[in-house]
Amino acid sequence: MNDLAQTTAAPIVSARGLRKHFGRTEILHGLDFDIPAGRIYGLVGHNGAGKTTTLNALLGLTSYEGTVRVLGEDPYQKRASLMKNVAFISDVASLPRFLRVRELFALLTNIHPNFDQAKARGFLEGTDVKMEARIKNLSKGMIAQLHLAVVMAIDAKLLVLDEPTLGLDITYRKRFYRRLLEDYMTEERTLLITTHQVDEIEFMLSDIMFIRDGELILHMQMETVSSKFSQVLVRPDQVAAATALGPIYSETRFGQTAMVFDGVDRDRLAQFGDVTTPTLSDLFVALMQRGPAK
Amino acid sequence: MKSLVALIKREYLEHRGAFLYAPGVILGIMTLVLVFGIASNRFQMHQEIGVPSALKFFEFGFLAVAALWCMYLLAALFFYYADAFSADRRNNAMLFWKSMPVTDFKVLASKSLAGMTIFPALIFVAYLITGILIYVVTMITAMILPRLGVPGVFEFLSSGFQIALFTLVGLVMALLWYAPFFAWVGALSTVFRRWSIPLAFLIPGLIGLAENLIFNDTGPRAGYFLNYLSERMKFGADNMELEKVIFSDASFNAAVMIPRFLSTIDWAQLVGGLIVAALLVYAASEYRRRTVAN
Repeated sequence: MNDLAQTTAAPIVSARGLRKHFGRTEILHGLDFDIPAGRIYGLVGHNGAGKTTTLNALLGLTSYEGTVRVLGEDPYQKRASLMKNVAFISDVASLPRFLRVRELFALLTNIHPNFDQAKARGFLEGTDVKMEARIKNLSKGMIAQLHLAVVMAIDAKLLVLDEPTLGLDITYRKRFYRRLLEDYMTEERTLLITTHQVDEIEFMLSDIMFIRDGELILHMQMETVSSKFSQVLVRPDQVAAATALGPIYSETRFGQTAMVFDGVDRDRLAQFGDVTTPTLSDLFVALMQRGPAK
Repeated sequence: MKSLVALIKREYLEHRGAFLYAPGVILGIMTLVLVFGIASNRFQMHQEIGVPSALKFFEFGFLAVAALWCMYLLAALFFYYADAFSADRRNNAMLFWKSMPVTDFKVLASKSLAGMTIFPALIFVAYLITGILIYVVTMITAMILPRLGVPGVFEFLSSGFQIALFTLVGLVMALLWYAPFFAWVGALSTVFRRWSIPLAFLIPGLIGLAENLIFNDTGPRAGYFLNYLSERMKFGADNMELEKVIFSDASFNAAVMIPRFLSTIDWAQLVGGLIVAALLVYAASEYRRRTVAN
């Protein structure tokens, strides 16, 4: 399932046997994963699958069982010092609404040692967000732009984004991710992102993790995904033969049968129809209905 | 230290309404009433007002408004602590502040310190401005009742300074004396939010009731617990016989009054109260650290 041998350098994030209980209910069932430096990770799962709980554990926002290290530190015990090198957006509506943009930047300059006010102001140039504006008077999209400007102006090693574009229209969402990729990402920085709109972030991901009911069912590099999984639009006369190869998912679209295969040679699949790499959303749908990818 | 000062400034920006704008409005109304009274020549004064001189009239007025502003401050602080300790949750800004490299204890300490420094300072400035209004009223009274005489500006300044110094010491000691009560409602607010205000009274009441039910008639009337709280609520200035000083012929002398005032304070209770306040803030910060942010 896991494709962990990506680098010999110390991982930015390391989780071993990560479990979380709410009362008697176990939400996370012993997650094991490493996130190396310089990667862009997507964490994808249904509502209630455990994405936010996992992120909360990594960010020191909640207690957990097992071992978690972020930049070599226990996040639950060392959250405050860790936040010098970790930035996160867990909810775009969480900016303090009583402040003006100028006041927010002035406070952050004194509170966060790695916040660069000039950079933040630069990121806001060309947007409709004015320095004298009160945050409570900004639109949802403008608040998202402001929050992104804030986290991008923090010189952090790890940036965690939990549904950062929730509720935004497509224009803002695309601008948000383009800005992130063009103005923020470097080889030294690591990005961990969760979203339901997986197709919108697929182009930027280097690695993907699927979580289902508190368990990781897929964790691999995107290159591996494209070599391991194949999608075939099967010709009607080949459906029986293709089914015999054990697709992990099959559905009929506009009279054509699309099948997703795990670890089947593409040359072998080509005889049944057009072979492509499944999109992340197709793969997600496929894997959510079966066991972990082998 | 820089981040602590910034966090205190944040408190000022968030909660200045009760400590800057409201006193400003009160001062504005007082000034308007005074100006209207002068302009319309509506000032009336009974011939027998019980003070021997204009200076004593001024001292009496300045001390009276000191008591009023102190009462305003203590009431405003009670509501401030009941709100501030849970304001980040109420404003949905908890996740943002948790993304900053500051501990939960530091955040709550900044809230506590704001209530002990910047907000009382603002009220003290409002009190000093009120002193100017009292001076104007005194001059008008002296014109209406010539027997009171008109002291020089230096005498007014000297007397005002003596009373302001005494008020400042009284204010500081009152804040320290009532610190555990503020910390109590603040700590309750961290857990119960707006319900902290009734619970701040209900919980001690229930403890007192339980004591009376369990140890029926074996202790003082109403029980040891409520008796202790009742005594602890009393502040040192109650026992100073200020009226005698005010209505004596001698000018108010801070060098005499401050030591007399300090001698009425139960220092063991004050220090014990500060320790309790610190423990309550620490407990509240641990609760805040351990609960999932939203």
